[in-house]
Amino acid sequence: MSIDRKIVTKNAYRITKKRGLTALRVRVPGGHMEAKHFGLLQEIAMTYGNGSVHLTTRQGFEIPDIDFSNMAEINVKILPLLQDLNLAIEVSTTGYPAAGTRNISACIGNRVCPFANDDTTALAQRLERAVYPHDFHFKIAVTGCPNDCIKAHMQDFGIICITEPQYDASRCISCEACVKNCKKKVTGALSMDAFNVSRNHDLCIGCGECILKCPTGAWSRSDQVLYRMVIMGRTGKKNPRIAMPFIKWGDQDTMVKIIENTYAFVERYIDKSLPKEHIGYIVDRVGYQVFKTEVLEGIVLNDEAEVAEHIQWGGYWYKDGLNF
Amino acid sequence: MQIDNNPYLALPYKILSIQRETEIDWTFTIAFDAPLVGGQFMQLSIPGVGEAPISISDFSPASDKSPGLLHMTIRKVGRLTDSIFELVPGDMLFMRGPYGNGFDVSLLKDKHVTIITGGTGTAPVKSVIRSMVYGSVPTLSARIVCGFKSPSDVLYKENLSLWQQESLGTKTNILLTIDRATEDDTPWSGEVGLVTSHIPSLGDTEQYGHIDPLNAMAIVVGPPMMMKFTTLGLIKAGYLPENIIVSFERNMSCAIGKCGHCKIDETYVCLEGPVFNYVQAAKLLD
Amino acid sequence: MAIALTHPEFDLFFQDLKQSYRIFGPMRKKGKGAMSDTDVIDYGPISSANDIVWLEKSFFSPKVVVNPIRETLFHFVNQRAVVPEIDVQPILLLLRPCDLAGIDRLDTIFLQNGEISDFYYERRRALVKFAIMGCETGFDSCFCAVMGTNKPNRDAYDYAFMPSTKGVEVHFGTSTSTSTSTDASTDASTDASTRLTDDIEPALAPEHNRLAFELPDFSHVTIEQIFSHPMWLEYSRRCIACGRCNTSCVTCSCFTMQDIYTDDNKQLAQRRRRWAGCHIDGFTNMAGGHSFRTKNGERMRFKIMHKLYDFHRRFGKHMCVGCGRCTDVCPEYISFTNTIKKVSEIIVEVTTHANRQ
Repeated sequence: MSIDRKIVTKNAYRITKKRGLTALRVRVPGGHMEAKHFGLLQEIAMTYGNGSVHLTTRQGFEIPDIDFSNMAEINVKILPLLQDLNLAIEVSTTGYPAAGTRNISACIGNRVCPFANDDTTALAQRLERAVYPHDFHFKIAVTGCPNDCIKAHMQDFGIICITEPQYDASRCISCEACVKNCKKKVTGALSMDAFNVSRNHDLCIGCGECILKCPTGAWSRSDQVLYRMVIMGRTGKKNPRIAMPFIKWGDQDTMVKIIENTYAFVERYIDKSLPKEHIGYIVDRVGYQVFKTEVLEGIVLNDEAEVAEHIQWGGYWYKDGLNF
Repeated sequence: MQIDNNPYLALPYKILSIQRETEIDWTFTIAFDAPLVGGQFMQLSIPGVGEAPISISDFSPASDKSPGLLHMTIRKVGRLTDSIFELVPGDMLFMRGPYGNGFDVSLLKDKHVTIITGGTGTAPVKSVIRSMVYGSVPTLSARIVCGFKSPSDVLYKENLSLWQQESLGTKTNILLTIDRATEDDTPWSGEVGLVTSHIPSLGDTEQYGHIDPLNAMAIVVGPPMMMKFTTLGLIKAGYLPENIIVSFERNMSCAIGKCGHCKIDETYVCLEGPVFNYVQAAKLLD
Repeated sequence: MAIALTHPEFDLFFQDLKQSYRIFGPMRKKGKGAMSDTDVIDYGPISSANDIVWLEKSFFSPKVVVNPIRETLFHFVNQRAVVPEIDVQPILLLLRPCDLAGIDRLDTIFLQNGEISDFYYERRRALVKFAIMGCETGFDSCFCAVMGTNKPNRDAYDYAFMPSTKGVEVHFGTSTSTSTSTDASTDASTDASTRLTDDIEPALAPEHNRLAFELPDFSHVTIEQIFSHPMWLEYSRRCIACGRCNTSCVTCSCFTMQDIYTDDNKQLAQRRRRWAGCHIDGFTNMAGGHSFRTKNGERMRFKIMHKLYDFHRRFGKHMCVGCGRCTDVCPEYISFTNTIKKVSEIIVEVTTHANRQ
């Protein structure tokens, strides 16, 4: 049997443990899919696969045990799935144009969750259009609030939707519900000062809990949803670590443009001797300051936005002595 | 500026003297000339700090020799009272009032009277005790029990011991008691035991003869638990519930029936109280 | 008298009213809901007829117009109290029939409870005329018919606006109308609009609500029996004491005073009051730390009994007007009406138990 492994992989099929059998990786940006596509997934799994479907950690589907020879036929069938991605590029019956940037995952967001500060699905879909079919394997996730249910902190780019709470003292009854809650559940950014609440902007993480707790609407949302971007978190076999804040109080365009700009940055600095050098290691190599300058190029930050001056990532190195 | 019909208007009054009763209870004497009834309260304030209800502990109307005097015993327990304790004679305190019904001492006339107070609950009854001692309200007898936690918590030491002296040989008796003897240095020659432990001695005695419960009135003021057990004790000792008078404490914000803080059931403590007949008070469930 | 106006005519009529009144009504505050991408319907100044929200019930009540969330009582300047001035231009307040009854309950507390009326409430209240917003069908949580607040007296309002398929019928109440407003109605009622004869009272709210139930009859139980019933324990578990039922209620009128210094040298100070509520922590705090009703079930009981029992004993009418906002806004899905039904059930339980003994 002869297959072009590179082409197959780019087409979103993977090499599996079983020789001769592949698995189709279905992208579901934001983890949100029209239910009508379930019929298609079921048909492919039952006709070409082993009748089962796997939900991936990144919120896609993987349909295992498909014979390589069925790829062309399946590619025709999955056209409706591709069309629903609303990509900026044309799609055809030749299947996925790229395995590319990992499926953009997102928590359920404000279509359902009361805590979410934004429609994470919509943002994931916007990002999908911006990054697909790029081939670098960035991991991107969008989470509706700093609770970070999607684990944005484990991504190369984690986007955390936030709001800048607006306080109207004339509506405040000094019940301290916001203050007590922030102290217990968040960062303690709020305190009482002569019966008014004062918000420490540096401590505030924009979660919006105060707005949710307020019985009078003294707290309300900023007109614009804002975002915190955490970067270069990773798992992997060298140095697992959580992502660190890069931008806070940035607007949505900034988030999208930074990711777009990163492709050129990677193009410039990637170590081509490796099969696919991971973005986090590139940033480690060239330094955060270079990364920052290059990805922010041409971006006019919104007034509220703040950029981290330095970032010191933590995590640990497997190669260093561990506590065993 | 319409201000005449503004019931929230607080006016400044001069502090004439300050008497330290205990470490944290001081009596402020203020020049104030308006009709007062013991058991009423004032809304006391310092602009910028706050306003709170404080019982009138004693008063005297203006005379040729003296202006009208108002005495209030204040316990240092929070923001406002902390600031009040920083004031000195000559400083101004803002007040509005008086509010509430106060004790109707005419009910005590020609009765055997029992007054039991606990701690700061002694303050609102002080003027009633004074009228017992000096006979401004003629009674058949008056048995007064003032209970405090420890010797260092006793209020009105000088007044009470003077009144004890003055009452010797009369049908009025003042008994001071502390909850339990403590190790502090304050000497104590009075009684020991909770006020409830003295209730049996308030019944028929040689000194007073037979007490006809139908002809006896009692006043009980103190912390909620003390009032509960003392009134129960009195009833057990034969006192009629309708002849027992109590006073409630609530944190009024307005004192004029608007703010809702003192409402219990359909009763507004600031309007109908703070002094209640026990029969009525027993129905006020919180 | 009544006139039928088309939408453009009603807008003109509205603009005429604006010459004489500041108009407050339920409006959409875009993006100002607590949850993201949600609006809140709240009372605010209405600038055109299009701003009026007819199809949704407002989250907050119109009480804010007569009893602001915060109200400054005095500025103290050099130990002298100065009362802040307020805008004295007359106000036309657009509200539903239940809310009109709610204002009556506020009047009862602020103007009639005790011998002294509330200066600050009174001076605002004196500025206010009412325009009823017809409430043909009501909403799911409404129970105005149960509370008897669905038929406002004509002398309690100046106008009633009844939305119709073609526009808005404007009915005129018999409350004292200003001459200006009469002029406005005459102007707008020329030409296209139709004069309606309406000797019949307009049906401003539904005869029956979707919710129908009997109010509890407390006449054969003691209040101790109600208070001590374990039913309230359920609310200690369910209620989170967030206070939304209090802040959204049109009849909740409790407040707490606050004093602050307004300069660094403590020469200037302000005394103000702000809303308080029986469900909200701190309401019963006494100086020294003692407080009453620490369990949320006790607070629930206090509120229910106030709205449906003790206010009635004191004033001869229920405090609750059946607007249903407390049910709408409760994040824990505690239904006020369901609680009322439970009170009725425990009364039956207590009385049958007593009869058996």
